[in-house]
Amino acid sequence: MENIKNNKTPNFFSKLLKPITIASKYMKNKLEKSMYSRFVLFGVLISLVPVLSNLDIIRYSTVSLIAYIVIFTIVALGLNILLGFSGLMSLGTAGFVGFGAYGVVYFSALGLPYELAIITTLLFSSLIGLFIGLFSLKVEGVYLAIATLALGEIFSQVFRRVVWFTNAFGGVHYEYPTLFGLIQLNRNWTFVFLVVVMVIMMIVMYNLTNSKTGRAFMAMSRSNSSAQAMGVSIAKYRLLSFLIATLYATIGGILFASFYRYVQPLDWNLMLTLLILAMVVVGGIKSIFGTFLGVFVIYGVPSLWLEDLFTGVYGVAYIFSGVLIIVVIMYYPHGIIYIIQDIKKLYHKYKNGEFKFQKNKEVNKDV
Amino acid sequence: MSVFISLVLRSLETGSVYALAALGVVLIFRTSKTTNFAQGAIGTLNAFVAATILVKWGWSIWVVVPIAMITAIITGFIIDTIFIRPASKVGSTGKQIITLGLIIVIIGIIPMIFGVEPIPMPRFIAFTDATQISILGASIGYNAIFTIGLSVLLMGGAFWFLKYTDWGLAIRVTASNEVASKLMGVPTKKVTMMSWATAAAFGTLAAIIIAPQSAVDINMMNDVQINAFFACVLGGFQTFYGPVIGAYIISLSKNLTAYYITSTWNTVIVYVVIMIFLFFKPVGLVGKKIVKKV
Repeated sequence: MENIKNNKTPNFFSKLLKPITIASKYMKNKLEKSMYSRFVLFGVLISLVPVLSNLDIIRYSTVSLIAYIVIFTIVALGLNILLGFSGLMSLGTAGFVGFGAYGVVYFSALGLPYELAIITTLLFSSLIGLFIGLFSLKVEGVYLAIATLALGEIFSQVFRRVVWFTNAFGGVHYEYPTLFGLIQLNRNWTFVFLVVVMVIMMIVMYNLTNSKTGRAFMAMSRSNSSAQAMGVSIAKYRLLSFLIATLYATIGGILFASFYRYVQPLDWNLMLTLLILAMVVVGGIKSIFGTFLGVFVIYGVPSLWLEDLFTGVYGVAYIFSGVLIIVVIMYYPHGIIYIIQDIKKLYHKYKNGEFKFQKNKEVNKDV
Repeated sequence: MSVFISLVLRSLETGSVYALAALGVVLIFRTSKTTNFAQGAIGTLNAFVAATILVKWGWSIWVVVPIAMITAIITGFIIDTIFIRPASKVGSTGKQIITLGLIIVIIGIIPMIFGVEPIPMPRFIAFTDATQISILGASIGYNAIFTIGLSVLLMGGAFWFLKYTDWGLAIRVTASNEVASKLMGVPTKKVTMMSWATAAAFGTLAAIIIAPQSAVDINMMNDVQINAFFACVLGGFQTFYGPVIGAYIISLSKNLTAYYITSTWNTVIVYVVIMIFLFFKPVGLVGKKIVKKV
């Protein structure tokens, strides 16, 4: 009886629109069910950027800028697994990115094809990652963070001093990759290659974090003892999460060398590490699209708009981006991605007629 | 022997710089529960104030340095009031990012107010033949003696303050448990404000002491900042005096390895040794094991 009361008699227009609404609902369900298609759709959209550049809609340099965002999204995703899911802190990320960049150049110069050079670089960096993982079994919290900072400093000294590996301050040059020894990529196709890798890394992270491993990471981040009591091996999963974060960072470095074709030693410092950390925290801990958004806010917004707006006055762009980071952290401590959730909540309230003009300070309390 | 003595004396000078910065870092870590990455940047900003007044108006360094200290204290107050206190609900990592934001803001402010050129900064006492003495065959400038003495005096004063005054007790209880001390009527807000001001002043003094070695510019404190962190882990974050000891150890071992082993890789050797040390003693030299309740 109650159902009948709620059902209004369908009028002519709703009958006419029925197939469309059903179709759109089907599409929406399909999209919501499969995150993969979201990632792929996102990748396709991003890889249209070179087309826009060829059509002179955006500047040539904007492609480089967005490539930077794509590369550091991958790096930040790795740190997000480590920090967001496993609750471990690392301040050596920039060192690993630099190692990836130098490694692929060095092994290519030894005559290895692109793919083999990548694999060799990943092998070496995963060894260092495992070492840090072992280290983390003994050292915890802020001590671990600063120990990884020491590792990052060692990396940066190596980049400056070991001439046979990095050519010191001269830097090393590279060229666009040739896939499988057959397909020579140009700038635009290298960009597409970066985006493909990013989408793959997003899907890997999605699968990983929604599996047993991801749940083990989360259990570990809450409490080591209770995770152990539930049968989660702390040693195994700590090693694994450092390994994953290292691999993501190294892959980011490899792509950096492949796209920009020049690596120099002074880029890989504490400042870069902190900026990567900020990308994760500002974007949204545990969120994949949030990480992209974070990289965009930290790197994209200053270089795309702020520097254009304030070309005359040196330093204003810095002040704006610094204040932006601080404000986002103060009001959205869990990440800027939750703004979207808040807007959705407000929209639903509006739809249900409960909308009142009041400040929603408590909205993200339970997120 | 005289080489060794002069190495020790030089280490005491740089060690004092690291120690001042490290004491600031640990003060903020204990009261605000975050590692302050902006410690060096705040010091640099106020060193710019000192250097600019000195060069533009030609005031004496003995007047300029106290002025810079006062602006440092004001900077500390402002940072705590505007950025740190409203973010008290933000987690430790979030606060670290706020201090990163502060670095970026300061990097933006410095060229706007003081220009992009590095500014030279004189020593307290100019370094000439007349202003140095010889200790066991090793010569040391009056300026080095003065800066070592000043920083030891200031740090000693800080420890005395922490141990024997009511406010020092307030800082110590806030450091051990902020919520409980707030409930017991300790003015924790004033305590954190005071520790930010003190840390800023120490950072500024460190910047002013190290400035004559090159000039006042944006990157002058990067090295000091990183070594202050290492001093903190080496000494342990649990006590206030641990990081100071750690700072002198790091400076001494850097100089000794540079002279006796290799001057190219001395920092790397010291960092590796710190990491190995941490592996066997995960809470630092004088740290206590943190007991976690399940």
